[in-house]
Amino acid sequence: MSTITDVKRMDRKPIKWGKILSYIVLIIFAVIYIGPLFFLVNTSLKTMPEFMKNATALTSQFNLDNFAEAWEKANFPQYLLNSLIYTVSATSIYILTAIFVAFPIARGYVKHSGLILSLYVIALFLPPALIPQFQLILNLGLYNNPVGYIMLFLVNPIGIVILVNYVKTVPKELDEAAALDGCGYFQFVTQIVLPLIQPAIATVIVLHAIGIWNEIIAPTIYLTNKDYYPITRGLINFQGVYGSNWPTLAAAVLMLTFPMLVLFLFLQRYIISGLTSGAVKG
Amino acid sequence: MNYHFGRGRSRLLPYLLLLPGLLFYFVIALGPSLATTVFSFTDATGIKGSKVNWVGLANYKEFLFMGQASIDNLEAVGRTLIFCLLVTSIQFSLGLLVAIILNQKIKGRIVFRTIYFMPVILGAVIQGLIWSLFLFPLGGPMAKLIGLFGMRSEFLGGPPEVAFGWVTAIQIWANMGTTMIIFLAGLQTIPADMYEAAEIDGASPWQVFQNVTWPLLTPSVNTNLTLNIIGSLQAWQLFLILIGYRNKTQVLGYLIYAVGFGQTSGSVTASFRQGYAAAASIVLFVIVLVLGMSANYFLQRRETRILG
Repeated sequence: MSTITDVKRMDRKPIKWGKILSYIVLIIFAVIYIGPLFFLVNTSLKTMPEFMKNATALTSQFNLDNFAEAWEKANFPQYLLNSLIYTVSATSIYILTAIFVAFPIARGYVKHSGLILSLYVIALFLPPALIPQFQLILNLGLYNNPVGYIMLFLVNPIGIVILVNYVKTVPKELDEAAALDGCGYFQFVTQIVLPLIQPAIATVIVLHAIGIWNEIIAPTIYLTNKDYYPITRGLINFQGVYGSNWPTLAAAVLMLTFPMLVLFLFLQRYIISGLTSGAVKG
Repeated sequence: MNYHFGRGRSRLLPYLLLLPGLLFYFVIALGPSLATTVFSFTDATGIKGSKVNWVGLANYKEFLFMGQASIDNLEAVGRTLIFCLLVTSIQFSLGLLVAIILNQKIKGRIVFRTIYFMPVILGAVIQGLIWSLFLFPLGGPMAKLIGLFGMRSEFLGGPPEVAFGWVTAIQIWANMGTTMIIFLAGLQTIPADMYEAAEIDGASPWQVFQNVTWPLLTPSVNTNLTLNIIGSLQAWQLFLILIGYRNKTQVLGYLIYAVGFGQTSGSVTASFRQGYAAAASIVLFVIVLVLGMSANYFLQRRETRILG
Protein backbone atom coordinates (compact mmCIF):
# COMPACT_ATOMS: atom_id res chain seq x y z
CA MET A 1 0.00 0.00 0.00
CA SER A 2 2.64 2.46 1.00
CA THR A 3 4.36 2.20 -2.37
CA ILE A 4 1.17 3.16 -4.13
CA THR A 5 0.70 6.29 -2.07
CA ASP A 6 4.34 7.14 -2.69
CA VAL A 7 3.80 6.95 -6.40
CA LYS A 8 0.68 9.08 -6.10
CA ARG A 9 2.56 11.66 -4.11
CA MET A 10 5.21 11.86 -6.82
CA ASP A 11 2.51 12.28 -9.46
CA ARG A 12 1.26 15.38 -7.76
CA LYS A 13 4.25 17.54 -8.52
CA PRO A 14 5.46 19.49 -5.53
CA ILE A 15 5.90 23.20 -6.09
CA LYS A 16 9.50 23.64 -7.13
CA TRP A 17 10.58 26.76 -5.30
CA GLY A 18 14.04 26.52 -6.82
CA LYS A 19 12.60 26.72 -10.32
CA ILE A 20 10.38 29.66 -9.43
CA LEU A 21 13.31 31.49 -7.90
CA SER A 22 15.31 30.75 -11.05
CA TYR A 23 12.68 32.32 -13.25
CA ILE A 24 12.43 35.36 -11.00
CA VAL A 25 16.19 35.92 -11.25
CA LEU A 26 16.14 35.43 -15.02
CA ILE A 27 13.29 37.89 -15.48
CA ILE A 28 14.91 40.54 -13.29
CA PHE A 29 18.06 40.28 -15.39
CA ALA A 30 16.06 40.33 -18.61
CA VAL A 31 14.41 43.59 -17.51
CA ILE A 32 17.83 45.11 -16.78
CA TYR A 33 19.00 44.12 -20.26
CA ILE A 34 15.88 44.96 -22.24
CA GLY A 35 14.78 48.02 -20.25
CA PRO A 36 17.37 50.46 -21.61
CA LEU A 37 16.71 49.25 -25.17
CA PHE A 38 12.97 49.64 -24.74
CA PHE A 39 13.44 53.17 -23.44
CA LEU A 40 15.62 53.93 -26.46
CA VAL A 41 12.85 52.85 -28.83
CA ASN A 42 10.22 54.74 -26.88
CA THR A 43 12.29 57.94 -26.85
CA SER A 44 13.07 57.74 -30.55
CA LEU A 45 9.37 57.88 -31.38
CA LYS A 46 8.70 61.00 -29.31
CA THR A 47 8.89 64.67 -30.12
CA MET A 48 11.26 66.82 -28.08
CA PRO A 49 8.48 68.68 -26.16
CA GLU A 50 6.83 65.36 -25.39
CA PHE A 51 10.13 63.99 -24.09
CA MET A 52 10.81 67.01 -21.91
CA LYS A 53 7.31 66.95 -20.48
CA ASN A 54 7.51 63.34 -19.38
CA ALA A 55 10.52 61.32 -20.45
CA THR A 56 9.25 57.94 -19.31
CA ALA A 57 5.66 58.11 -20.53
CA LEU A 58 4.83 55.79 -23.38
CA THR A 59 4.90 57.54 -26.71
CA SER A 60 1.47 58.69 -27.84
CA GLN A 61 2.32 58.61 -31.52
CA PHE A 62 4.32 56.69 -34.04
CA ASN A 63 6.47 59.61 -35.06
CA LEU A 64 9.26 58.72 -37.50
CA ASP A 65 10.47 62.29 -38.05
CA ASN A 66 13.42 61.74 -35.71
CA PHE A 67 14.72 58.99 -37.94
CA ALA A 68 14.51 61.09 -41.06
CA GLU A 69 16.17 63.99 -39.29
CA ALA A 70 18.97 61.89 -37.82
CA TRP A 71 19.66 60.15 -41.11
CA GLU A 72 19.88 63.47 -42.90
CA LYS A 73 21.83 65.49 -40.35
CA ALA A 74 24.20 62.83 -39.08
CA ASN A 75 25.81 62.10 -42.44
CA PHE A 76 25.16 58.41 -41.82
CA PRO A 77 25.45 57.15 -45.41
CA GLN A 78 29.03 58.41 -45.60
CA TYR A 79 30.02 57.07 -42.18
CA LEU A 80 28.39 53.71 -42.82
CA LEU A 81 30.22 53.39 -46.10
CA ASN A 82 33.52 54.22 -44.38
CA SER A 83 32.90 51.63 -41.66
CA LEU A 84 32.02 49.08 -44.29
CA ILE A 85 35.19 49.78 -46.29
CA TYR A 86 37.42 49.58 -43.22
CA THR A 87 35.79 46.43 -41.89
CA VAL A 88 35.66 44.50 -45.16
CA SER A 89 39.13 45.38 -46.42
CA ALA A 90 40.96 44.87 -43.12
CA THR A 91 39.10 41.64 -42.36
CA SER A 92 39.75 40.16 -45.82
CA ILE A 93 43.46 40.93 -45.75
CA TYR A 94 43.72 39.68 -42.20
CA ILE A 95 41.97 36.36 -42.75
CA LEU A 96 43.93 35.60 -45.94
CA THR A 97 47.26 36.15 -44.24
CA ALA A 98 46.09 34.47 -41.03
CA ILE A 99 45.29 31.19 -42.77
CA PHE A 100 48.80 31.00 -44.17
CA VAL A 101 50.22 31.71 -40.72
CA ALA A 102 48.02 29.26 -38.86
CA PHE A 103 48.25 26.27 -41.18
CA PRO A 104 52.04 25.76 -41.30
CA ILE A 105 52.30 26.50 -37.56
CA ALA A 106 49.69 23.88 -36.73
CA ARG A 107 51.43 21.35 -38.97
CA GLY A 108 54.98 22.25 -37.99
CA TYR A 109 55.83 22.92 -41.64
CA VAL A 110 57.96 25.91 -40.68
CA LYS A 111 60.86 25.91 -38.23
CA HIS A 112 60.17 27.10 -34.69
CA SER A 113 56.41 26.69 -35.08
CA GLY A 114 55.98 26.39 -31.33
CA LEU A 115 57.90 29.60 -30.72
CA ILE A 116 55.89 31.52 -33.31
CA LEU A 117 52.65 30.29 -31.77
CA SER A 118 53.72 31.37 -28.29
CA LEU A 119 54.49 34.85 -29.67
CA TYR A 120 50.78 35.05 -30.50
CA VAL A 121 49.65 33.54 -27.22
CA ILE A 122 51.55 36.07 -25.07
CA ALA A 123 49.94 39.00 -26.92
CA LEU A 124 47.30 39.22 -24.19
CA PHE A 125 49.94 40.15 -21.62
CA LEU A 126 52.03 42.59 -23.65
CA PRO A 127 52.27 46.33 -22.89
CA PRO A 128 49.77 48.58 -24.71
CA ALA A 129 51.22 49.35 -28.15
CA LEU A 130 49.32 52.65 -28.37
CA ILE A 131 52.21 55.13 -28.37
CA PRO A 132 54.78 53.47 -30.66
CA GLN A 133 51.99 52.43 -33.00
CA PHE A 134 50.98 56.06 -33.32
CA GLN A 135 54.61 57.09 -33.93
CA LEU A 136 54.87 54.43 -36.62
CA ILE A 137 51.75 55.55 -38.46
CA LEU A 138 52.71 59.20 -38.06
CA ASN A 139 56.20 58.70 -39.47
CA LEU A 140 54.92 56.60 -42.34
CA GLY A 141 52.80 59.62 -43.27
CA LEU A 142 49.64 57.59 -42.74
CA TYR A 143 48.10 59.68 -39.95
CA ASN A 144 44.57 60.75 -40.79
CA ASN A 145 44.67 58.39 -43.73
CA PRO A 146 42.28 55.50 -44.39
CA VAL A 147 45.17 53.22 -45.42
CA GLY A 148 46.97 53.81 -42.15
CA TYR A 149 43.72 53.24 -40.31
CA ILE A 150 43.11 49.91 -42.05
CA MET A 151 46.69 48.84 -41.32
CA LEU A 152 45.95 48.92 -37.60
CA PHE A 153 43.48 46.09 -38.01
CA LEU A 154 45.57 43.57 -39.92
CA VAL A 155 46.46 41.79 -36.70
CA ASN A 156 44.46 39.59 -34.34
CA PRO A 157 46.47 37.12 -32.26
CA ILE A 158 43.46 35.31 -30.79
CA GLY A 159 42.24 34.57 -34.31
CA ILE A 160 45.52 32.81 -35.11
CA VAL A 161 45.22 30.70 -31.97
CA ILE A 162 41.65 29.69 -32.85
CA LEU A 163 42.68 28.75 -36.41
CA VAL A 164 45.71 26.75 -35.25
CA ASN A 165 43.59 24.76 -32.83
CA TYR A 166 41.08 24.00 -35.55
CA VAL A 167 43.63 23.01 -38.18
CA LYS A 168 44.93 20.43 -35.71
CA THR A 169 41.61 18.59 -35.99
CA VAL A 170 42.15 18.07 -39.74
CA PRO A 171 43.86 14.67 -40.22
CA LYS A 172 47.50 14.92 -41.32
CA GLU A 173 47.15 11.96 -43.66
CA LEU A 174 45.23 14.27 -45.94
CA ASP A 175 48.37 16.30 -46.65
CA GLU A 176 50.33 13.27 -47.72
CA ALA A 177 47.54 11.89 -49.90
CA ALA A 178 47.01 15.22 -51.63
CA ALA A 179 50.73 15.67 -52.21
CA LEU A 180 50.94 12.20 -53.72
CA ASP A 181 48.19 13.23 -56.13
CA GLY A 182 50.41 16.09 -57.21
CA CYS A 183 48.63 18.82 -55.30
CA GLY A 184 50.86 21.80 -54.50
CA TYR A 185 51.07 23.61 -51.15
CA PHE A 186 49.15 26.72 -52.16
CA GLN A 187 46.49 24.70 -53.90
CA PHE A 188 46.19 22.34 -50.95
CA VAL A 189 45.67 25.15 -48.43
CA THR A 190 43.22 27.13 -50.54
CA GLN A 191 41.20 24.28 -52.02
CA ILE A 192 41.29 21.49 -49.46
CA VAL A 193 42.15 22.92 -46.02
CA LEU A 194 40.08 26.08 -46.43
CA PRO A 195 36.70 24.35 -46.84
CA LEU A 196 37.53 21.97 -43.99
CA ILE A 197 38.27 24.73 -41.49
CA GLN A 198 35.37 26.92 -42.59
CA PRO A 199 33.64 27.02 -39.17
CA ALA A 200 36.79 28.39 -37.54
CA ILE A 201 37.30 30.87 -40.36
CA ALA A 202 33.72 32.11 -40.01
CA THR A 203 34.21 32.54 -36.27
CA VAL A 204 37.44 34.49 -36.67
CA ILE A 205 35.97 36.69 -39.42
CA VAL A 206 32.93 37.54 -37.30
CA LEU A 207 34.98 38.31 -34.17
CA HIS A 208 37.47 40.43 -36.09
CA ALA A 209 34.87 42.31 -38.12
CA ILE A 210 32.78 43.18 -35.05
CA GLY A 211 35.90 44.48 -33.34
CA ILE A 212 36.66 46.83 -36.22
CA TRP A 213 33.06 47.93 -36.66
CA ASN A 214 32.72 48.86 -32.97
CA GLU A 215 36.16 50.41 -32.55
CA ILE A 216 36.08 53.91 -31.10
CA ILE A 217 39.55 54.59 -29.69
CA ALA A 218 41.49 54.15 -32.93
CA PRO A 219 39.30 56.52 -34.97
CA THR A 220 39.47 59.06 -32.16
CA ILE A 221 43.25 58.95 -32.28
CA TYR A 222 43.97 58.46 -35.96
CA LEU A 223 41.24 60.16 -37.96
CA THR A 224 40.65 63.90 -37.77
CA ASN A 225 38.98 64.41 -41.12
CA LYS A 226 35.23 63.94 -40.83
CA ASP A 227 35.11 62.43 -44.31
CA TYR A 228 37.05 59.45 -42.95
CA TYR A 229 35.02 58.87 -39.78
CA PRO A 230 33.60 55.41 -39.24
CA ILE A 231 30.08 55.20 -37.90
CA THR A 232 31.12 54.97 -34.24
CA ARG A 233 33.05 58.22 -34.40
CA GLY A 234 30.27 59.75 -36.47
CA LEU A 235 27.74 58.86 -33.81
CA ILE A 236 29.85 60.43 -31.05
CA ASN A 237 30.20 63.48 -33.24
CA PHE A 238 26.43 63.60 -33.71
CA GLN A 239 26.02 63.33 -29.95
CA GLY A 240 28.28 66.35 -29.56
CA VAL A 241 25.94 68.41 -31.73
CA TYR A 242 22.59 66.87 -30.83
CA GLY A 243 23.43 65.77 -27.29
CA SER A 244 20.49 67.58 -25.73
CA ASN A 245 17.97 66.46 -28.33
CA TRP A 246 17.48 62.95 -27.03
CA PRO A 247 14.64 61.87 -29.34
CA THR A 248 16.75 62.52 -32.46
CA LEU A 249 19.88 61.07 -30.87
CA ALA A 250 17.91 58.00 -29.77
CA ALA A 251 16.69 57.54 -33.34
CA ALA A 252 20.28 57.73 -34.55
CA VAL A 253 21.45 55.18 -31.99
CA LEU A 254 18.53 52.89 -32.76
CA MET A 255 19.22 52.97 -36.49
CA LEU A 256 22.64 51.52 -35.74
CA THR A 257 21.51 49.19 -32.98
CA PHE A 258 18.77 47.48 -34.91
CA PRO A 259 20.86 46.09 -37.81
CA MET A 260 23.46 44.92 -35.31
CA LEU A 261 20.83 43.04 -33.34
CA VAL A 262 19.45 41.36 -36.45
CA LEU A 263 22.95 40.43 -37.53
CA PHE A 264 23.62 39.18 -34.02
CA LEU A 265 20.79 36.66 -34.21
CA PHE A 266 22.42 35.14 -37.27
CA LEU A 267 26.04 35.36 -36.15
CA GLN A 268 25.55 34.47 -32.51
CA ARG A 269 26.81 30.92 -32.78
CA TYR A 270 30.05 32.02 -34.45
CA ILE A 271 30.73 34.55 -31.72
CA ILE A 272 29.95 32.00 -29.05
CA SER A 273 32.21 29.36 -30.56
CA GLY A 274 34.97 31.92 -30.84
CA LEU A 275 34.67 32.92 -27.20
CA THR A 276 34.46 29.39 -25.91
CA SER A 277 37.00 27.68 -28.16
CA GLY A 278 39.84 28.30 -25.74
CA ALA A 279 37.71 28.15 -22.64
CA VAL A 280 36.80 24.53 -22.17
CA LYS A 281 40.33 23.36 -22.65
CA GLY A 282 41.62 26.01 -20.26
CA MET B 1 57.03 17.23 -39.28
CA ASN B 2 57.24 15.60 -42.67
CA TYR B 3 56.58 18.06 -45.42
CA HIS B 4 55.13 16.46 -48.53
CA PHE B 5 54.74 19.33 -50.93
CA GLY B 6 58.08 19.27 -52.68
CA ARG B 7 61.72 19.90 -51.90
CA GLY B 8 64.39 22.41 -52.73
CA ARG B 9 63.08 25.83 -53.62
CA SER B 10 59.43 24.85 -53.36
CA ARG B 11 60.11 23.94 -49.71
CA LEU B 12 60.32 27.69 -49.11
CA LEU B 13 56.72 28.29 -50.15
CA PRO B 14 55.16 27.89 -46.66
CA TYR B 15 57.67 30.40 -45.30
CA LEU B 16 56.98 32.82 -48.09
CA LEU B 17 53.22 32.66 -47.59
CA LEU B 18 53.57 32.91 -43.82
CA LEU B 19 55.66 36.03 -44.08
CA PRO B 20 52.97 38.72 -44.72
CA GLY B 21 50.90 37.74 -41.70
CA LEU B 22 53.90 37.43 -39.42
CA LEU B 23 55.29 40.72 -40.70
CA PHE B 24 52.04 42.54 -39.94
CA TYR B 25 52.09 41.11 -36.45
CA PHE B 26 55.68 42.16 -35.81
CA VAL B 27 55.39 45.62 -37.33
CA ILE B 28 51.93 46.62 -36.11
CA ALA B 29 51.56 44.82 -32.78
CA LEU B 30 54.55 43.02 -31.28
CA GLY B 31 57.20 45.57 -32.29
CA PRO B 32 55.28 48.65 -31.07
CA SER B 33 54.31 46.82 -27.94
CA LEU B 34 57.93 46.13 -27.04
CA ALA B 35 59.02 49.57 -28.24
CA THR B 36 56.80 51.10 -25.56
CA THR B 37 59.65 50.39 -23.15
CA VAL B 38 62.10 52.36 -25.28
CA PHE B 39 59.71 55.29 -25.72
CA SER B 40 59.17 55.46 -21.97
CA PHE B 41 62.78 56.64 -21.58
CA THR B 42 62.36 59.51 -24.06
CA ASP B 43 60.58 62.84 -24.34
CA ALA B 44 58.83 61.89 -27.58
CA THR B 45 55.87 64.04 -28.60
CA GLY B 46 53.17 63.53 -31.16
CA ILE B 47 54.75 65.91 -33.64
CA LYS B 48 56.18 64.45 -36.78
CA GLY B 49 59.92 64.99 -37.23
CA SER B 50 60.51 66.61 -33.84
CA LYS B 51 63.71 65.68 -32.05
CA VAL B 52 63.45 62.86 -29.54
CA ASN B 53 65.75 62.96 -26.52
CA TRP B 54 66.77 60.24 -24.12
CA VAL B 55 65.63 61.23 -20.65
CA GLY B 56 66.39 58.10 -18.67
CA LEU B 57 64.02 57.46 -15.80
CA ALA B 58 62.66 61.02 -15.72
CA ASN B 59 59.20 60.00 -16.94
CA TYR B 60 58.89 57.34 -14.26
CA LYS B 61 60.13 59.72 -11.59
CA GLU B 62 57.59 62.28 -12.67
CA PHE B 63 54.81 59.72 -12.84
CA LEU B 64 55.46 58.36 -9.37
CA PHE B 65 57.14 61.01 -7.24
CA MET B 66 56.30 64.53 -8.34
CA GLY B 67 53.76 66.39 -6.27
CA GLN B 68 50.08 66.62 -6.98
CA ALA B 69 50.30 65.13 -10.47
CA SER B 70 51.84 61.94 -9.06
CA ILE B 71 49.19 61.75 -6.38
CA ASP B 72 46.57 61.97 -9.13
CA ASN B 73 48.42 59.27 -11.07
CA LEU B 74 48.58 56.95 -8.10
CA GLU B 75 44.91 57.56 -7.43
CA ALA B 76 44.23 56.54 -11.01
CA VAL B 77 46.24 53.36 -10.37
CA GLY B 78 44.18 52.72 -7.26
CA ARG B 79 40.96 53.34 -9.16
CA THR B 80 42.08 50.94 -11.87
CA LEU B 81 42.60 48.26 -9.23
CA ILE B 82 39.22 48.95 -7.63
CA PHE B 83 37.56 48.85 -11.04
CA CYS B 84 39.28 45.54 -11.75
CA LEU B 85 38.28 44.08 -8.40
CA LEU B 86 34.63 45.16 -8.70
CA VAL B 87 34.20 44.19 -12.33
CA THR B 88 35.99 40.85 -11.98
CA SER B 89 34.20 39.72 -8.82
CA ILE B 90 30.70 40.89 -9.71
CA GLN B 91 30.83 39.89 -13.38
CA PHE B 92 32.26 36.52 -12.42
CA SER B 93 29.58 35.85 -9.78
CA LEU B 94 26.63 37.04 -11.83
CA GLY B 95 27.87 35.24 -14.93
CA LEU B 96 28.22 32.03 -12.94
CA LEU B 97 24.79 32.42 -11.30
CA VAL B 98 23.03 33.01 -14.60
CA ALA B 99 24.91 30.20 -16.33
CA ILE B 100 23.98 27.69 -13.62
CA ILE B 101 20.33 28.74 -13.79
CA LEU B 102 20.32 28.50 -17.58
CA ASN B 103 21.95 25.07 -17.45
CA GLN B 104 18.76 23.67 -15.91
CA LYS B 105 15.65 22.71 -17.82
CA ILE B 106 14.36 26.23 -18.25
CA LYS B 107 11.69 27.36 -20.69
CA GLY B 108 13.07 29.96 -23.06
CA ARG B 109 16.68 29.41 -22.04
CA ILE B 110 17.92 30.32 -25.53
CA VAL B 111 15.92 33.55 -25.41
CA PHE B 112 17.34 34.51 -22.02
CA ARG B 113 20.85 33.61 -23.11
CA THR B 114 20.50 35.74 -26.24
CA ILE B 115 19.19 38.71 -24.26
CA TYR B 116 22.07 38.69 -21.77
CA PHE B 117 24.64 38.20 -24.48
CA MET B 118 23.26 40.95 -26.72
CA PRO B 119 25.32 43.96 -25.51
CA VAL B 120 28.53 42.17 -26.48
CA ILE B 121 27.87 42.77 -30.16
CA LEU B 122 26.70 46.38 -29.78
CA GLY B 123 30.09 47.76 -28.82
CA ALA B 124 31.05 50.48 -26.36
CA VAL B 125 29.57 53.44 -28.25
CA ILE B 126 26.04 52.07 -28.48
CA GLN B 127 26.23 50.57 -24.98
CA GLY B 128 27.32 53.93 -23.65
CA LEU B 129 24.71 55.99 -25.46
CA ILE B 130 21.87 53.64 -24.51
CA TRP B 131 22.80 54.01 -20.85
CA SER B 132 23.37 57.75 -21.06
CA LEU B 133 19.76 57.98 -22.14
CA PHE B 134 18.50 55.54 -19.52
CA LEU B 135 20.28 57.58 -16.85
CA PHE B 136 18.85 60.88 -18.13
CA PRO B 137 18.72 62.85 -14.86
CA LEU B 138 15.66 64.99 -15.72
CA GLY B 139 12.91 62.41 -15.41
CA GLY B 140 14.56 59.42 -17.10
CA PRO B 141 13.61 55.91 -15.99
CA MET B 142 16.35 55.54 -13.39
CA ALA B 143 15.68 59.03 -12.03
CA LYS B 144 11.99 58.13 -11.68
CA LEU B 145 12.84 54.83 -10.05
CA ILE B 146 15.04 56.27 -7.32
CA GLY B 147 12.57 59.15 -7.04
CA LEU B 148 10.09 56.62 -5.67
CA PHE B 149 12.41 56.31 -2.69
CA GLY B 150 12.75 60.04 -2.40
CA MET B 151 16.26 60.07 -3.85
CA ARG B 152 17.82 62.23 -6.52
CA SER B 153 20.97 61.74 -8.50
CA GLU B 154 22.83 63.25 -11.41
CA PHE B 155 24.18 59.76 -12.16
CA LEU B 156 26.98 60.17 -14.73
CA GLY B 157 27.11 63.91 -14.11
CA GLY B 158 27.08 63.54 -10.35
CA PRO B 159 29.94 63.26 -7.83
CA PRO B 160 32.99 61.35 -9.14
CA GLU B 161 32.31 58.25 -7.04
CA VAL B 162 28.74 58.04 -8.31
CA ALA B 163 29.81 58.44 -11.94
CA PHE B 164 32.59 55.90 -11.46
CA GLY B 165 30.13 53.45 -9.88
CA TRP B 166 27.77 53.72 -12.83
CA VAL B 167 30.52 53.15 -15.37
CA THR B 168 31.53 50.06 -13.39
CA ALA B 169 27.96 48.78 -13.40
CA ILE B 170 27.57 49.39 -17.13
CA GLN B 171 30.89 47.67 -17.82
CA ILE B 172 29.53 44.60 -15.99
CA TRP B 173 26.18 44.85 -17.81
CA ALA B 174 28.00 44.95 -21.13
CA ASN B 175 30.31 41.99 -20.55
CA MET B 176 28.51 39.60 -18.23
CA GLY B 177 27.25 37.76 -21.33
CA THR B 178 30.76 36.69 -22.28
CA THR B 179 31.45 35.31 -18.79
CA MET B 180 28.09 33.51 -18.85
CA ILE B 181 28.76 31.95 -22.26
CA ILE B 182 32.15 30.61 -21.16
CA PHE B 183 30.62 29.16 -18.00
CA LEU B 184 27.76 27.60 -19.96
CA ALA B 185 30.25 25.89 -22.27
CA GLY B 186 32.08 24.60 -19.20
CA LEU B 187 28.89 23.40 -17.53
CA GLN B 188 27.93 21.42 -20.60
CA THR B 189 31.12 19.38 -20.36
CA ILE B 190 30.15 18.09 -16.91
CA PRO B 191 28.65 14.61 -17.44
CA ALA B 192 24.99 14.28 -16.43
CA ASP B 193 25.64 11.06 -14.50
CA MET B 194 27.78 13.01 -12.02
CA TYR B 195 24.66 14.95 -11.07
CA GLU B 196 22.53 11.81 -11.03
CA ALA B 197 25.00 10.09 -8.72
CA ALA B 198 24.98 13.08 -6.38
CA GLU B 199 21.18 13.11 -6.40
CA ILE B 200 21.01 9.41 -5.52
CA ASP B 201 23.38 10.09 -2.63
CA GLY B 202 20.85 12.65 -1.45
CA ALA B 203 23.11 15.68 -1.83
CA SER B 204 21.56 19.11 -1.34
CA PRO B 205 21.81 21.62 -4.22
CA TRP B 206 24.55 23.46 -2.35
CA GLN B 207 26.50 20.22 -1.84
CA VAL B 208 26.12 19.41 -5.52
CA PHE B 209 27.51 22.80 -6.41
CA GLN B 210 30.36 22.50 -3.93
CA ASN B 211 31.41 18.96 -4.79
CA VAL B 212 30.50 18.53 -8.45
CA THR B 213 29.91 21.77 -10.31
CA TRP B 214 32.57 24.02 -8.80
CA PRO B 215 35.56 21.63 -9.03
CA LEU B 216 34.65 20.38 -12.51
CA LEU B 217 34.17 23.93 -13.72
CA THR B 218 37.81 24.75 -12.96
CA PRO B 219 38.94 25.32 -16.58
CA SER B 220 36.18 27.87 -17.23
CA VAL B 221 36.81 29.49 -13.86
CA ASN B 222 40.44 29.97 -14.85
CA THR B 223 39.60 31.35 -18.28
CA ASN B 224 37.00 33.76 -16.95
CA LEU B 225 39.11 35.05 -14.08
CA THR B 226 42.15 35.59 -16.30
CA LEU B 227 40.13 37.29 -19.05
CA ASN B 228 38.18 39.44 -16.60
CA ILE B 229 41.23 40.59 -14.66
CA ILE B 230 43.26 41.51 -17.74
CA GLY B 231 40.27 42.90 -19.62
CA SER B 232 39.07 45.16 -16.81
CA LEU B 233 42.57 46.49 -16.09
CA GLN B 234 42.83 47.66 -19.70
CA ALA B 235 39.24 48.76 -20.34
CA TRP B 236 38.38 52.44 -20.49
CA GLN B 237 36.18 52.90 -23.58
CA LEU B 238 33.04 53.29 -21.49
CA PHE B 239 34.70 55.99 -19.39
CA LEU B 240 35.43 57.88 -22.61
CA ILE B 241 31.87 57.63 -23.86
CA LEU B 242 29.90 57.93 -20.62
CA ILE B 243 31.74 60.63 -18.67
CA GLY B 244 34.76 61.84 -20.60
CA TYR B 245 38.04 62.72 -18.91
CA ARG B 246 36.84 63.85 -15.52
CA ASN B 247 38.91 64.47 -12.44
CA LYS B 248 38.72 61.70 -9.80
CA THR B 249 37.21 59.22 -12.23
CA GLN B 250 40.13 58.34 -14.52
CA VAL B 251 41.57 54.88 -14.76
CA LEU B 252 45.10 54.23 -15.98
CA GLY B 253 44.16 53.30 -19.55
CA TYR B 254 42.33 56.58 -20.03
CA LEU B 255 45.14 58.52 -18.40
CA ILE B 256 47.62 57.06 -20.90
CA TYR B 257 45.43 58.15 -23.76
CA ALA B 258 44.83 61.59 -22.31
CA VAL B 259 48.49 62.47 -21.71
CA GLY B 260 49.57 60.87 -24.97
CA PHE B 261 46.98 62.42 -27.22
CA GLY B 262 45.42 65.31 -25.36
CA GLN B 263 42.03 65.11 -23.74
CA THR B 264 40.14 66.09 -26.80
CA SER B 265 40.55 64.15 -29.96
CA GLY B 266 41.79 65.85 -33.06
CA SER B 267 44.76 67.86 -34.15
CA VAL B 268 48.23 67.01 -32.97
CA THR B 269 49.63 69.64 -30.62
CA ALA B 270 52.86 70.14 -28.71
CA SER B 271 51.30 69.11 -25.43
CA PHE B 272 51.16 65.50 -26.49
CA ARG B 273 53.61 63.87 -24.11
CA GLN B 274 54.02 60.46 -25.61
CA GLY B 275 57.22 59.49 -23.78
CA TYR B 276 55.44 60.13 -20.51
CA ALA B 277 52.37 58.23 -21.74
CA ALA B 278 54.63 55.31 -22.67
CA ALA B 279 55.99 55.25 -19.12
CA ALA B 280 52.41 55.14 -17.83
CA SER B 281 51.75 52.28 -20.28
CA ILE B 282 54.63 50.34 -18.74
CA VAL B 283 53.18 50.92 -15.27
CA LEU B 284 49.89 49.46 -16.52
CA PHE B 285 51.75 46.59 -18.17
CA VAL B 286 53.52 45.73 -14.92
CA ILE B 287 50.18 45.69 -13.08
CA VAL B 288 48.61 43.48 -15.76
CA LEU B 289 51.61 41.18 -15.72
CA VAL B 290 51.82 40.85 -11.94
CA LEU B 291 48.09 40.37 -11.39
CA GLY B 292 47.52 38.29 -14.53
CA MET B 293 50.52 36.04 -14.00
CA SER B 294 49.99 35.50 -10.29
CA ALA B 295 46.30 34.76 -10.85
CA ASN B 296 47.32 32.33 -13.55
CA TYR B 297 49.91 30.72 -11.27
CA PHE B 298 47.47 30.16 -8.43
CA LEU B 299 44.71 29.00 -10.74
CA GLN B 300 47.01 26.47 -12.40
CA ARG B 301 48.12 25.12 -9.03
CA ARG B 302 44.53 24.85 -7.94
CA GLU B 303 43.66 23.06 -11.17
CA THR B 304 46.38 20.44 -10.68
CA ARG B 305 45.25 19.94 -7.11
CA ILE B 306 41.62 19.42 -8.08
CA LEU B 307 41.75 17.76 -11.46
CA GLY B 308 45.16 16.12 -11.16
